[in-house]
Amino acid sequence: MYTLPLARLIEQLQRLPGVGPKTAQRLALYILQRPDTEIQALAQALMDAKEKVGQCSVCFHLTADPICEICLDPTRDRHLICLVIDSRDVIALEKTREYRGLYHVLGGLISPMDGISPEQLNIQPLIQRVHRERPEEVILAISPSVEGETTTLYVGHLLKAFTRVTRIAFGLPMGGDLEYADEITLARALEGRRELD
Amino acid sequence: MYLKSLSLRQFRNYDQQCLHLSAAKTIIVGDNAQGKTNLLEAVELLSTLQSHRTNRDGDLVLNGETTGQIHGILERQMGTMELGLTLRRNGRRTVILNGQTQRRYLDLLGLLNTVRFSSTDLELVRGGPEQRRQWLDRLLTQLEPLYAHIWQQYQQVLRQRNALLKSHHANSTRPSQEELALWDAQLTATGIRVIRRRSRALARLSPLAIAWHQLISGCRETLEIRYLPNVKSETDHLEAWQQAFLVKIEERMMAEYHQHTSLVGPHRDDIEFTINNTPARQYGSQGQQRTLVLALKLAELELIEQIVRDSPLLLLDDVLAELDLKRQNQLLEAIQDRFQTLITTTHLGAFDAHWLRHSQVVTVESGRIMTDQQPLILTPNQPHHSNATKI
Ligand SMILES: Nc1ncnc2c1ncn2[C@@H]1O[C@H](COP(=O)(O)OP(=O)(O)OP(=O)(O)O)[C@@H](O)[C@H]1O
Ligand SMILES: [Mg+2]
Ligand SMILES: [Zn+2]
Repeated sequence: MYTLPLARLIEQLQRLPGVGPKTAQRLALYILQRPDTEIQALAQALMDAKEKVGQCSVCFHLTADPICEICLDPTRDRHLICLVIDSRDVIALEKTREYRGLYHVLGGLISPMDGISPEQLNIQPLIQRVHRERPEEVILAISPSVEGETTTLYVGHLLKAFTRVTRIAFGLPMGGDLEYADEITLARALEGRRELD
Repeated sequence: MYLKSLSLRQFRNYDQQCLHLSAAKTIIVGDNAQGKTNLLEAVELLSTLQSHRTNRDGDLVLNGETTGQIHGILERQMGTMELGLTLRRNGRRTVILNGQTQRRYLDLLGLLNTVRFSSTDLELVRGGPEQRRQWLDRLLTQLEPLYAHIWQQYQQVLRQRNALLKSHHANSTRPSQEELALWDAQLTATGIRVIRRRSRALARLSPLAIAWHQLISGCRETLEIRYLPNVKSETDHLEAWQQAFLVKIEERMMAEYHQHTSLVGPHRDDIEFTINNTPARQYGSQGQQRTLVLALKLAELELIEQIVRDSPLLLLDDVLAELDLKRQNQLLEAIQDRFQTLITTTHLGAFDAHWLRHSQVVTVESGRIMTDQQPLILTPNQPHHSNATKI
């Protein structure tokens, strides 16, 4: 149907998340219409990003430098570390401009179904970091899914010996499943209630 | 509550059909495989967002199409509302309330309440524990929609814990105590939520079922309903439950390693029915078992009505014709016009003429719905559709 180079391009585009066959076809045809320079810039950007962007050696946020901008920023509050799942969460939190502390990127959630055990996450480096830097507080900003809860439980338990641990509701998934809601939080709060004595 | 209309688009074998429900009872007649159960299934989906027949939305969408739609107009004491559900072959759903897409599925649950009674429910007593758990869970979702979420969470924990046990079985190691303890804690936390709600629902259902059962059986028999949770606790305190879970998990640890699956928790619960102190499952005659299921269904209707403060719909799939005339009349008398009822059947002949006169009759043929306007002419004493299972 498509000439081979075009078919290959569509095939590659289709591997991207959220891109179905129709979108891949539209993107490919669009790319063919653009001037050479633009496409070269795109290709170069892809190669550069892949080659140069790595993880911050302190917090594991994506960066082109050994240590990321946030970790190097002298105006940030070093007594606070916010634990998030991935770099997208860092970016989301940064956009709010509310938070002025540091981050630590976990790199995923504990999930035996996906073969992810605690050792595969950046948990050990976090413990070492907390031990070394002695922050006053670690904020766990992990989505309250089953896997998120489990990871929170695990990390919280490990950190409690070193520092104050708090958590915020974060990353509420949109659409999809039956979700976390006020009712659920309330129901849980009611569950733990005791009789007044 | 009263479902005024049901519209289907590319749902099962319906391309585009609308059914206006004009009486408290609607009888849906048609030959086999014409789409009778599909209609009830659509109502069930609006009610629980679940089908008892399939977990795959692809099955629900008309063959060859990618999306299907169910839409219903519901009258409740609080007002009229429009419920909509869009199903897609790829599994993504959209729930719509009064024209507004809802962010959470939860927001559609609990608006339309239904009790389903089909010939497979007759297996409730005789069948495996799985069927009884499903029955109770479905009732719970009606009583407290949040339960759907609680149950989903429990199952996800179970899947993760089983995956952990399996992965270590695969490379013949034992999962680290630390990691397993993590999932034990989650299994306990989510499991307790399930058990407490199941226990609470059964406790409320039980007296109603017992009363119905006495009425139907003519006081001759005493029914008892007992919840048999896999994990038992002396008291209902959270700490007592946690302790009970941990003790049982410890006890079953070796067995879990060997079978590499979770053996402790409410996924192994059961419910026991006894009649005159004898387990109905083993000793109940077919007639006794039917009386029991009928009592359970009537109790369900009543319990939902009590808690929701509005009368649920009753969906009778094929079952009426399987009950003898006495039980049929007991059921229809009990529901009167109090509960809107949708009844499917292949033969009108199996019904008492008295009930037929007060019902709307629609015919279903290859995914087309035809409303019969003229009154039905029935030959008196028409032989009842013979059925070997009749009692
Ligand atoms: N996704 C689908 N697309 C098209 N047709 C479907 C789809 N799913 C089911 N059907 C058809 O619907 C019919 C079954 O409908 P249904 O189960 O409602 O039958 P019924 O009238 O209840 O029959 P019975 O009296 O045997 O219970 C079958 O003909 C089946 O092929
Ligand atoms: Mg059927
Ligand atoms: Zn950094």
